[in-house]
Amino acid sequence: MTNNANNNPQPVDIAKWSETAPRYSETKRMISVFIGRPLPVIGLVIIVLLILVAIFAPLLAPYPPNQMDIPNKLQQPSSEHWLGTDSLGRDTLSRIIYGSRTSLIIGISVMAISSITGTVLGLVAAYFGGAIYHIIMRFMDALMAFPMLLLALLVASLLGAGMLNIIIALGIGMIAAPCRLMCGVVMSVKQNDYVLSARAMGMSNLRLMFQEILPNAFPPLLVMITISIGAVILAEAGLSFLGIGITPPTATWGGMVNDGYKFITTHPVLAISPGVAIMLIVFGFNMLGDGLRDALDPKLRGVI
Amino acid sequence: MNRENSTNVVELLNLKMYFPITRGLLRRKVGEIKAVDDVSFTIKKNETLGLVGESGCGKTTTGWCILRLYKPTAGKIIFNGRDISSMKENQLRPFRSRMGAIFQDPYGSLNPRQTARTIVGMPIIIHGMKTKGYDDRVEELFKLVGLDPSMMTRVPHEFSGGQRQRLGIARALACQPELIICDEPVSALDVSIQAQIINLLEDLQEKLGLTYLFIAHDLSVVQHISNRVAVMYLGRIIEIANSKELYANPLHPYTKALLSAIPVPNPVIERKRTRIVLKGEVPSPADPPPGCPFHPRCNVAIDDCKTEKPQLKDVGNGHMVACFRV
Amino acid sequence: MSLLSIENLKTYFHTYRGLVKAVDGVSFNVDEKEIVGLVGESGCGKSVSMLSVLQLISSPPGEIVGGKVMFEGQDLLKYRSKSNMMNSIRGAKIAMIFQEPMTSLNPVLTIGRQLTESMEVHLKMTPQMARERAVELLRLVGIPDAKRRLDAYPHQFSGGMRQRMMIGIALSCNPKILIADEPTTAVDVTTQAQLLELMRDMVDRFNTALIIVTHNLGVVARYAERIYVMYSGRIVESGLADEIFLEPRHPYTIGLLKCVPQLGETRQERRLEPIKGLPPNLINMPPNCAFLPRCNYAIDRCNLEPWPSLKHVGGRHYVACFREILEKS
Repeated sequence: MTNNANNNPQPVDIAKWSETAPRYSETKRMISVFIGRPLPVIGLVIIVLLILVAIFAPLLAPYPPNQMDIPNKLQQPSSEHWLGTDSLGRDTLSRIIYGSRTSLIIGISVMAISSITGTVLGLVAAYFGGAIYHIIMRFMDALMAFPMLLLALLVASLLGAGMLNIIIALGIGMIAAPCRLMCGVVMSVKQNDYVLSARAMGMSNLRLMFQEILPNAFPPLLVMITISIGAVILAEAGLSFLGIGITPPTATWGGMVNDGYKFITTHPVLAISPGVAIMLIVFGFNMLGDGLRDALDPKLRGVI
Repeated sequence: MNRENSTNVVELLNLKMYFPITRGLLRRKVGEIKAVDDVSFTIKKNETLGLVGESGCGKTTTGWCILRLYKPTAGKIIFNGRDISSMKENQLRPFRSRMGAIFQDPYGSLNPRQTARTIVGMPIIIHGMKTKGYDDRVEELFKLVGLDPSMMTRVPHEFSGGQRQRLGIARALACQPELIICDEPVSALDVSIQAQIINLLEDLQEKLGLTYLFIAHDLSVVQHISNRVAVMYLGRIIEIANSKELYANPLHPYTKALLSAIPVPNPVIERKRTRIVLKGEVPSPADPPPGCPFHPRCNVAIDDCKTEKPQLKDVGNGHMVACFRV
Repeated sequence: MSLLSIENLKTYFHTYRGLVKAVDGVSFNVDEKEIVGLVGESGCGKSVSMLSVLQLISSPPGEIVGGKVMFEGQDLLKYRSKSNMMNSIRGAKIAMIFQEPMTSLNPVLTIGRQLTESMEVHLKMTPQMARERAVELLRLVGIPDAKRRLDAYPHQFSGGMRQRMMIGIALSCNPKILIADEPTTAVDVTTQAQLLELMRDMVDRFNTALIIVTHNLGVVARYAERIYVMYSGRIVESGLADEIFLEPRHPYTIGLLKCVPQLGETRQERRLEPIKGLPPNLINMPPNCAFLPRCNYAIDRCNLEPWPSLKHVGGRHYVACFREILEKS
């Protein structure tokens, strides 16, 4: 140092600048990215509303869903039956309200089964690699090659139709996608130095998988689950429409479209209104998934 | 400093690490990558051994073998008097707590979903040493590496690059290890931050009596921090010497080229330096040239170099070089 | 008159967390055939300022908010990024080599195609002429058997050869200026030496000016004739290489030179003197000198007044500091 520098060093007020990287909340950032776009918020609102409708169905529905009123069958919308009645005189609005329960229960439980199984299988396959990887992934390839419809038919013919069997059929059919996704993500996450460092410390395989790797592999899975719920609901509706889904008289939107489309020329509301409900819920889950993807995008994290 | 009678912390004896190249459905072995090929060296207590070389020369693989992230193909790794080269994971556990590791990437080496406190305390938790002094210990570790303990609840992305590297150092120190493998600990940092971390590592070594294996590609950094420096090329150590000696009197043609390739931040010195520009590129470790691995690029190679592998020989004062032309 | 002169360039980024003044009033000039170094640490705005010259800033979030980029008598910032004018400048008159040369080559096009394309477009060459020149270029950058190699794809070349080809492609249209943005950050020292020597020989042969953007002080000391030191979006010191390295006057430059280990220097001889603290966070910066919190030479005036402008201190040496510091090395 020169004399010049030592002449009279002045204290510098550095309080204005933080010595450290600024503190900011990741959660806050995610929320602000999420609510910064209109479509994900609309999706979230739709889904929250539908969940509320499903929970409070008995309070909201003007009639019991399966109450038949043959004399008043096939009525056009009126102040008594806002969306008219079907061929057995059941109130369409009430059935749509109750149908939301079926859709949500199936959507959520199918994805719970398939994503938990798929995640564990994908994690194990990618973590251990080698023969384990090949066995699991070839099995998934086979599963993916098997048409879901055929699988559902198979389950239905073996176990009979019904909500539980539909859930099992779709649950098995949906395992491959989360498993493959998880496998790919884990492959890249396990390359990270923090996993290596934990291994160098002697961390056990189980802890490595569930403590170090899984939490970091989770965000893309969450996005996929959200979007897949929409797909599952659509699949269930398709199955019910084909008559191999949930047994009548349980109200399901797919089944209602099936019932209603025979009267599409005279009573279009019977088929269109459950169709719109299906569209709304699928749209809602897709938009929510899109919003989550943007909010959880690591590329947007830490961007100054 | 008298190191003559101090004990060896690590001793590598003819370490080899070959990775198989497999092809086809049946994963037939069609060749192997000789990442580390017959490497021997010792690191004494309280010493820093620098390991330099270009990417793919096997320096990181050597470090990872010592950390037993790999199981070596052949050779011995004697750590604290025991050969750990073929131990099983449960036998290794007590040795693992005696070693720490610092990795290159300050962004990738910390789990982004854990708080700084968990990250730093993790080795203590893993080794079942979490007692009631745990919180104090973590706080002490934070202070030791120059981090404010009030930042313990933050997650990695809330720290700057240099601070993350400090967290990595604190974690490596958690179980009071003897040996720390520093794998390119400063190469990802800005120059103004590099010096802070180098000084911290030097201070910690003096304070805690640590032994370092310092792996890096930047020879000027390695020379600054290390007592001795080993130069690797294609999986082999080609020269090993006292840090000052290696700079003042490099003997292997590759070391000479490496030194001359490093630009010095002083234009006056730069104008006077002779530059050796190597021809060609480093051959693939899957297909290393016969004889001396450096001979195809060497400007003093003789016929012997093409057929025979030169062994490290001592040319006095612990300066060892693997070259026929010395 | 200088070949390229940048006046008071400002490039801001509008981010989620606030306004980032990545380049905040940078002035810069390059003469014909000159080799200029632009040094600074990551995030100081050195790459952004060069990308701004070619208007390669993605917008949003980036925006060039002010300044002039004078090249051949025209202000390039008067033209839009996608205008014909800018397209005829980029690649043809001002070429750029990026940090990741491995990803800068298109894997599905042959090397020949990638080399000849810009020559056919910019220089209006016939395919035959372009091909002949491409062979010549490959030969010059040291690729053996150039004629046959023209029909190969990038993956058929080793990493070092691909980087050589990048240099060949960049110089294919005989540009006036070659900007090398961290050209050797991702490569080893001996490869770095090979590439920089090649680059220097090539710009010498083609009478091209070279701007080396790097964080490596050694590289600029070895190759650059004149140097600009950037910190936090501004030029803090500029001058001939000897002026910068032998008589550094800005506390940041002084600090940088003291914190790097000299080759052959051991810790017993000298402890490194790091610059204290951290590089500033560029969001919502106060108007004062950004180096102030880390500065050992700061005075009251630094706290009270906005960032000092560059002042002439002799020769071609300019420094942005209130104090008259002279450090001989």
